[in-house]
Amino acid sequence: MPLSRDELEYAVQVLGRKLSVEELAVLEAEWSEHCSYKSSRRLLKLLPSNAPYVVVGPGRDAAAIRLFDDVDLVLVFRIESHNHPSAVDPYNGAATGVGGIVRDVLSLGAKPIALVDALFLGDPNDSHARWLAKEIVRGISDYGNRIGVPVVAGHTWHGNAYNRQPLVNVGCIGIAKLNEIVEGFVEPGDPIIVVGNATGRDGLQGSSFASKPLSDGNEELAAIQVGNPFLEKLLIDAIREAVENRLLKHVKDLGGGGLATAVVETAAASGVGATVYLDKLHLREKLEPVEILVSESQERMLVVPKRNCLDKLIAIFDKYGIEYSTIGYFTEDKLFRAYFKGKLVVELPIELVVNPPEPKRASEKPRDWPPPMPDIDIPLEKAGEVILKLISSPRIASKRWIYEQYDWGVGGRTVLPPGYGDAAVIWLRELGLRGVAVKVDGNPRYTKLDPYIGAALALEEAYRNVYVVGAEPLAAVDNVNAGNPEKPEQYWFFHRMVEGLAWIARELEIPVVGGNVSLYNESAHGTMVDPVTTVMVVGRVFDVSKTLGYRLRGKGVLVLLGDTYPELGGSELLALLGFEGGSPPKPRPALEKKLSKLLRVVAEKRLAYAAHDVGVGGLIASIAEMVACSGVGATIDLSSVGCRECRWFEAAFSETQARVVLEVPSEKLDELKLLARKNNVPLYLLGYTGGDIFEVRIGNRIVSKIPVEKVYEVYEKTSWEKFMGVD
Amino acid sequence: MGEYFMPRVAVLKFPGTNCEEETVYAVREISRVEAEIVWHEEFKWRMWDAVIIPGGFSYGDYGRAGLIASWSRASRELVEAADNGIPILGICNGFQVLVELGLLPGALTVNIDGVFHAKWVKVRINNPKGPWLVLAENGQIVEMPIAHGEGRYYHPEPHKIVVERPWIEYIGCNPNGSVASIAGLGSSSGEILGLMPHPERAAFDVQVPYPHTAGGKLFFESIGLSLRRGW
Repeated sequence: MPLSRDELEYAVQVLGRKLSVEELAVLEAEWSEHCSYKSSRRLLKLLPSNAPYVVVGPGRDAAAIRLFDDVDLVLVFRIESHNHPSAVDPYNGAATGVGGIVRDVLSLGAKPIALVDALFLGDPNDSHARWLAKEIVRGISDYGNRIGVPVVAGHTWHGNAYNRQPLVNVGCIGIAKLNEIVEGFVEPGDPIIVVGNATGRDGLQGSSFASKPLSDGNEELAAIQVGNPFLEKLLIDAIREAVENRLLKHVKDLGGGGLATAVVETAAASGVGATVYLDKLHLREKLEPVEILVSESQERMLVVPKRNCLDKLIAIFDKYGIEYSTIGYFTEDKLFRAYFKGKLVVELPIELVVNPPEPKRASEKPRDWPPPMPDIDIPLEKAGEVILKLISSPRIASKRWIYEQYDWGVGGRTVLPPGYGDAAVIWLRELGLRGVAVKVDGNPRYTKLDPYIGAALALEEAYRNVYVVGAEPLAAVDNVNAGNPEKPEQYWFFHRMVEGLAWIARELEIPVVGGNVSLYNESAHGTMVDPVTTVMVVGRVFDVSKTLGYRLRGKGVLVLLGDTYPELGGSELLALLGFEGGSPPKPRPALEKKLSKLLRVVAEKRLAYAAHDVGVGGLIASIAEMVACSGVGATIDLSSVGCRECRWFEAAFSETQARVVLEVPSEKLDELKLLARKNNVPLYLLGYTGGDIFEVRIGNRIVSKIPVEKVYEVYEKTSWEKFMGVD
Repeated sequence: MGEYFMPRVAVLKFPGTNCEEETVYAVREISRVEAEIVWHEEFKWRMWDAVIIPGGFSYGDYGRAGLIASWSRASRELVEAADNGIPILGICNGFQVLVELGLLPGALTVNIDGVFHAKWVKVRINNPKGPWLVLAENGQIVEMPIAHGEGRYYHPEPHKIVVERPWIEYIGCNPNGSVASIAGLGSSSGEILGLMPHPERAAFDVQVPYPHTAGGKLFFESIGLSLRRGW
């Protein structure tokens, strides 16, 4: 997207002269929404990011926290979207999204150990949406598998709004010793080395492309980057070897905005200038200087060695057979200069490049929003039918067709893979039995109805999923996906999402240590895709052998922790009935915190066989999921959930937050009850597990009886597996 | 008594190999022998008592999985090692390399449905012999995860080749369309063994979610014992 007239005038005024073509391209890339966060910077400051264990907060390529007080290991992580590229070329778009986030984690010197993905896909009945979904998953699979970083957890959503424009958010976590973290500080005289892929014409102006609505035509294919996972794997190994040998003072991904952005942001962060010679860079094809500056060819990194370490660094690159070029050096004078064949083509003050004029963004709540809660009633006789329909919804049904394409086990660290528990648990074998848990969540139905509450619930749900496995949630990173910031009614959703996220982060005492903003998720016809905030939460585990999964043993008591309220606004049940309306369920951070504490004791003392949170689809969906994936029956009584004002379908399908289902060995029940009382957590006896029937009762009346085999079949086979076989 | 030498296992690393760290860890912790990651250019078979070619995508799996690695200098060392009776285990991509090298018969091709599959599977160990399976019982069923896109084993006469050899068979479901459900195969002495499932991901209890069991331990316990006491 070209600079706005105001921006251009501002640049000319500051410089006191006209800009060269190359300078325009640099500003266009760096002043794009994608690189500069010009519409979001101010708002993002609302997010609390401090905690005693935060080692690197927002501002660098990734964040870092210390996991345990007594060990010097840090967890490095980030999440990022690759929405626009994935809409145009889903395979390469999603694949390079993985590549980029892994390099971000690598930029701090960490070894990437796990990936998570949040996919917002279209309706499986729509053939274009199906093609996009298939190719996105294949792209993540091919790239992730080949670089040897397991995809351990994810979140998948389906809705018509994403038929043409899916959202692809990918997160990565890595580990490093505290003293391995690359400082990221450069000094005048330090060389600028670019290592990795030869630069070509792919991904030209990718950032400015991602900073405007998609158009109908095909001209955007040129902006798509193409990935080379083999080279990425070599880069990971080479950079890690250099880090372990303490050779590097700075590493940065050449991501959005390409070479120009990486050099300028590095210089800005250290308060220096930089001079580069564009003709020194290794190229794949003949390029114009302007193309060299902003190409977004993948698998490239800017590295700055420590003094006297250059030879050793080059020996490592040679060992792995990776190309590199020394293209310039940092300077005292705070200017960014680029030469091409002896000619000065760019001379811009760093300050100007990294500080675009802040655009004025108006925010206006859409009128008559949200639609009111419809008046619904479902006869009890329909219970069995509704339950089966609910668990066959693509939002609830098994995501096996996705996660079995991902190598979730490479690294040998995966304790709880996808399909086994609410969050992934990763074993840190270098620390005995300790580990880390991670999960990503986001519900666009909630954020669309009420962006403030919806964004809050994204963090709350990811937080819950992390504590349900027995981990202690420590920090979050967010990915806000919204529409066109130039339109007040779309900007309102963005602005309210950030505020809601900031509120819940304070309530839950979870610092938001980094994130990504994706704006302009809007079609050529001006329709905003359903806005959503994706949140990735990480937590620590002291003993991974005590992790709680959700597979039932079939010989326990079913217990519900937490109260139920009639909260069907924005629920899966409403959607099933064809309605969109009401308010999303109320956030309940105080109870979540108590539950978090309680679940850690439950795990530690082995008081439960299985644990699963209640989310989309409510209590029934939660238990049906446990039944389907363990092949074990369950009997529950809806009148025992303790909601007097609830009608039967509210007790069954309400999406009230802060609830967890446990399968408890009967001999441990008393101990659990005592513990729950002590922690002020409401506890209800729902029923028991075992047999081969999923039975739902209200008191003595049986309202639904479904064979486990049928639950399994509907959960596993009627949704995506069936649809994916179509083409 | 002579000097006691701790047996040493090389875990070979090609560009693109990605399972070397967990494999070395399992050898050290479970086999209780020395193990090192050895960069392919530095590999000399005479320095080692056994070799493991771990999983991953050597050379990006360009051409065909395992193909380019099988042309490397390290592979000539592997052939010599095999001639000299050094135990060699190929896991996943390592199995593909052994097949490409001709150290094991047959071929490994793209999964029958063209899709990468990562999941827990059950396999049966048939006719166990050799250093990698000394602790296995004939017909023993174990669980391990698979994760591959090119694991479909093919041989025109599968039933002939398994007569003499130890071999590993998928039970319940055949995830990739392998002929005779072959998940792994040894040389007739069992000194060379290749398999698609990942024993290093099922070697410790914490790697195993309920209801599975740690079926990979067997391989590491076996080689540890074999290297100390012979086979």
